[in-house]
Amino acid sequence: MNIALLSESPADEAALRVLVGYVLGQGFNQISPSLRARGWPSVELVLPAILRHLHFNTNADGLVVVVDSDDSPVHTAEHEAPGYHHPYCRICRLRSVFRRTARNLPPARGRDRVLRAVGVCVPALEAWLLCGRDTSVTEAAWVAGQAAGRPPYTRRELKWRVYGTERPALPHELRRAVQEVSRHHGDVRRLENDFPQGFGALARDLRGWRKP
Amino acid sequence: MITAVHFRNFKALRSAAVRLEPFNLFIGPNGSGKTSLIQALLRLRTLSGLPVIHRHDVPDQKPGGPQIEFHFAAPFQNVRVTLGCNSDEFVCNLLVVDHPPGLPGEGQWAGLRTQLQGIRAFLFDHYAMAVPARRSDGAELSSNAGNLAAVLARRREQAPVAFRQLEEDFCRILPEFAGLDFRDAGDGRVELAARLAERKELVAADSLSQGTLYLLATLTLAHAPAPPTVVCLEEADRGVHPRMLREVRDALYRLSYPKDAGLERAPVQVVTTTHSPYLLDLFKEHPEEVVLASKSGNAATFMRLSERTDLLELMKEAHLGDLWYSGILGGIPGE
Repeated sequence: MNIALLSESPADEAALRVLVGYVLGQGFNQISPSLRARGWPSVELVLPAILRHLHFNTNADGLVVVVDSDDSPVHTAEHEAPGYHHPYCRICRLRSVFRRTARNLPPARGRDRVLRAVGVCVPALEAWLLCGRDTSVTEAAWVAGQAAGRPPYTRRELKWRVYGTERPALPHELRRAVQEVSRHHGDVRRLENDFPQGFGALARDLRGWRKP
Repeated sequence: MITAVHFRNFKALRSAAVRLEPFNLFIGPNGSGKTSLIQALLRLRTLSGLPVIHRHDVPDQKPGGPQIEFHFAAPFQNVRVTLGCNSDEFVCNLLVVDHPPGLPGEGQWAGLRTQLQGIRAFLFDHYAMAVPARRSDGAELSSNAGNLAAVLARRREQAPVAFRQLEEDFCRILPEFAGLDFRDAGDGRVELAARLAERKELVAADSLSQGTLYLLATLTLAHAPAPPTVVCLEEADRGVHPRMLREVRDALYRLSYPKDAGLERAPVQVVTTTHSPYLLDLFKEHPEEVVLASKSGNAATFMRLSERTDLLELMKEAHLGDLWYSGILGGIPGE
């Protein structure tokens, strides 16, 4: 498959490349040049143009978009109800951009649309990187903390736990990101269990691509 | 090392103070005092190398004249240094030092003076960097990095491990290159060249891009075996692609936070400026490292971004760089 990845940093992209391969159970060809957004809300702003570009100018089969949730509401099962749209949930918003954009694009290059896979790291990629190594870091813990008004950890703390510093140099960040996701050895069940919405939604989207 | 600087009637800095951290990114419109701060630090370095004047020896000064006061971190927290300036030309020629009495105080000043002698400011000039440099000028990077070739050639000979790390970093960031090389340019001069990864050809410095040379100069500072105590770098983002600004930030962080890079040397205090919203974006998790310079009429002031109590709320809606550009943070030109 030819797949484009849109993320917020080179380390996010490196981790995503591994995880997408694990979920699909096969290698894939990444569309180049690599896509990058400056973080939320740039992702949402640039996504229609990226979709249009991929649709008409490339042979991309699908686009994977992963962003950090930061302090936004976490996607829940209720958001999956037909016609439901949470105005602040980033998964709901990104899916909405996909829908709106695809509606206005005629078929091109032998396909109706570029396939969609959207995930949200709660609250940041480092949480996914700690999955299975630090049991206190889960989507449930974050949601409970949000409800109580006391987040269980901050983004800075997560950086410390993964990189040993709040200011990792890029090569160190890349190395650690790939090391940590590679611990799953192709089996993403733990990630889906601990991050059922942010990662789970991404995995479900990707598995949907394999259906005829 | 320098914890705060207080300005009184110095150029646009009529009544302004700034607290300094190990790393400081200054943003703001032209003429808002960013360069004045760097000039003040350079003047401090120059005058601290001259015979000192103690408070009780100070000649009568015009009351309310320009003055810049410096405060320092431990172990120099009891030393206070004041620059007195000529009010007509803003030339600061009077350095007044207050330190505890006796030998311990003298010792503190001597130690601080050594540190102050290590202040350096840089505004890179790619034209100067591109021409061959005299080998004898390679002891340390000059303010415009015009001796870049000589500094790197000397480092390759005298500090090969540090040179190799720099070279690796350069080639990692710009993978079209496989290394750095040097050619004798006659008359005791050396010319810098970069080796292309694919064809092994050498590209002379005068054929390298502006941004490539700036990045190389920044890395030369970041990987210096004995860096300055304070590095002031104007327009750190200049010539660099927005996606590569992360590398610029990391290089400067390497100076300020050596432990994070696995280095055992003392931290270098960094004072840098930018007009790039993209570079500013990279500080969303460390707004305490950003200083906003603002101008109201002819008067300029400084404010740490982290002092904005609503900053976290604002950042939920927009990027730091966009917030700055929009004007809601201040630090924009008058229109």
